[in-house]
Amino acid sequence: MAEITFSGVTKVFAGNVTAVDSLDLHVADGEFMVLVGPSGCGKTTALRMLAGLEEISSGTLSIGGQVVNNVLPKDRDVAMVFQNYALYPHMTVAQNMGFALKIRGESKAEVERKVREAATILRLGDYLDRRPRALSGGQRQRVAMGRAIVRSPQAFLMDEPLSNLDAQLRVEMRVEIARIQRLLGVATVYVTHDQIEAMTMGDRVAVMRGGQLQQVAPPQALYDHPANEFVAGFMGSPPMNLLRVRTSPSRGRVGIAVGDQRLDVPAAYGATHDLPRDEDAEVVLGVRPEDIDVVGSDVSGPTLKTRVERREALGAEILVHLSVADSGPASSVAYDEDAVVSRPTTLVARMAPQARVEVGDVLMVRLNEERLHFFDGRAGVTLRRERV
Amino acid sequence: MSVDTRRAAPEVATDDRARVRRVGRGALFLVMVGVAVVMLYPFWVMVVDSLKSENQFLSGHGFSWASWRTLTSTIPIAQEVVSSTIICAVSILLILLVGLPAGFAFAKLKFRASGVIFLAIVSAMMVPLQAILMPEFVNITRLGLTGGYTGAVLVYAALGTPFSVFLFATYFRGVPDELIEAGIVDGLGYVGALWRLVVPIAIPAIATVTVLQFIQIWDDLLVGLLFIQNTSERPITVGLAVLAAGRTTSIPALMAGSLVSALPAMMVYLIFQRYLVKGLTMGIDR
Repeated sequence: MAEITFSGVTKVFAGNVTAVDSLDLHVADGEFMVLVGPSGCGKTTALRMLAGLEEISSGTLSIGGQVVNNVLPKDRDVAMVFQNYALYPHMTVAQNMGFALKIRGESKAEVERKVREAATILRLGDYLDRRPRALSGGQRQRVAMGRAIVRSPQAFLMDEPLSNLDAQLRVEMRVEIARIQRLLGVATVYVTHDQIEAMTMGDRVAVMRGGQLQQVAPPQALYDHPANEFVAGFMGSPPMNLLRVRTSPSRGRVGIAVGDQRLDVPAAYGATHDLPRDEDAEVVLGVRPEDIDVVGSDVSGPTLKTRVERREALGAEILVHLSVADSGPASSVAYDEDAVVSRPTTLVARMAPQARVEVGDVLMVRLNEERLHFFDGRAGVTLRRERV
Repeated sequence: MSVDTRRAAPEVATDDRARVRRVGRGALFLVMVGVAVVMLYPFWVMVVDSLKSENQFLSGHGFSWASWRTLTSTIPIAQEVVSSTIICAVSILLILLVGLPAGFAFAKLKFRASGVIFLAIVSAMMVPLQAILMPEFVNITRLGLTGGYTGAVLVYAALGTPFSVFLFATYFRGVPDELIEAGIVDGLGYVGALWRLVVPIAIPAIATVTVLQFIQIWDDLLVGLLFIQNTSERPITVGLAVLAAGRTTSIPALMAGSLVSALPAMMVYLIFQRYLVKGLTMGIDR
């Protein structure tokens, strides 16, 4: 078991395409690190460099304190689980699981013992003599896991191992993989584009975009204190509402104009955030769908008058799409090419299924004043002083 | 009483369609039987005529082993079969030993000018044997290899390799990269991944190359005639040519010889035909 360190690791492919740009990341011994981001963000390339399947253009990569830039994959002592499992089709489950040990020259008895132990952990005992084609998707996935764990490697590398499974099985295997990783305590780097996997499985989550690391933090910290607009928009489903607004200070307090409506920013934000004091400065206001409540017209705090545009009943909750009524051109949702796009001037609110809300209703909504997010209008980074 | 024509009409149509389909299938069956007869009749004639003496062949009645006795006493048929087998086996082994790694390299490894080199190798498939026979003969003679099997084996291997490289490269392109990468992370090198992971799943392609090359080499006369000058090492095709060129005029004995020559290729085909179809159609459904 060992820790993993990326120091300024860069990968430039032919044609001068930078897939990973100066990645600095430390994975502690026994830690479950999730690399998450949209397609083409460089997460899989980073993992492949760690496995030794891709050469490193610059920077250093070390496993257990040893620089492995020029170490062959077989000498890195890492085990990898692939997206399509990559089981050896001509071998039985037991042979698949024991293959790496056999190559390493371990005795037949030892290989058998380790395979049995792993099969017990993975509940594969009854399938050891089967070929991969006679297994279901979930069983194949477990064999792929088994092939990794029998080796007792220094690190597990997993490349979207659940993306070929159906939704229900994915939930089961999510729990299963997290359980096995905790049981074995091996440093794990897990690549996914699914932010639910990232939130539920990782000790820490590293969000990547365009080859660059955006933020590394425990899942809840990432959710509560995103470092920039991209992370804010990427983590959470539905994503955080991001409104491009302008400051409108009044009587010594910072306020913001959302269309022709004005919101007073609670004074507490002055102490924790670097909010612009000038008139008409551009900022991005972020608010999570669960932080929007319907209220009467007489309440205090940051409220907005909105109109219900659409209503999506999901059973356990309703997603209500609200347009900021009478909003002018000054207000629009901050667009980001990679973030989940929402319509301009629209907020999505998460409400209880009992909420009597119909399309066309005009609602007064209050934004949870303790959970507002502010980002720089140009750079998109958080205005919060204390970074996570 | 009214008749419900709306329901009856589709049934009639269905019956008609079924009848047309039955007739079509019957006609197709007859055509296939006809083709099978045309293909198998010469083989039948070969078998029946080889079991007759000269007189029985002329009269059209009776069976005997006389022609087989004539055949075995006129030419060393058993030894020629062994020679053909050795030439085929060693040539195919060489073709596989070169074709498998080369196909793997072209399909899975990145190296400079691989596309151009692959194109050059594939274009070598288009060159007919006759066009390079004389330079080959000069080369092999200079090397002093025209006596026994070696010269012929080298020529057959050189002629068969481009096709095998092409076929294996095509096949290996369909093998997921992850399978090889999994092996490499598990501790194999590229050579290990080829022999332990890729070759075992390439049986259809290997069978295809083996069968096609076997038939080609086994049935070839020209290379054996030119490159194998030791009479004790000549293949069955050369033996048959010698037989037909004056050792005997007995048609039944020639039929017996032809049968011995044709049987192995047919057997190899029948044994491997299951894989052969798979190997030749690979890539279609991807």
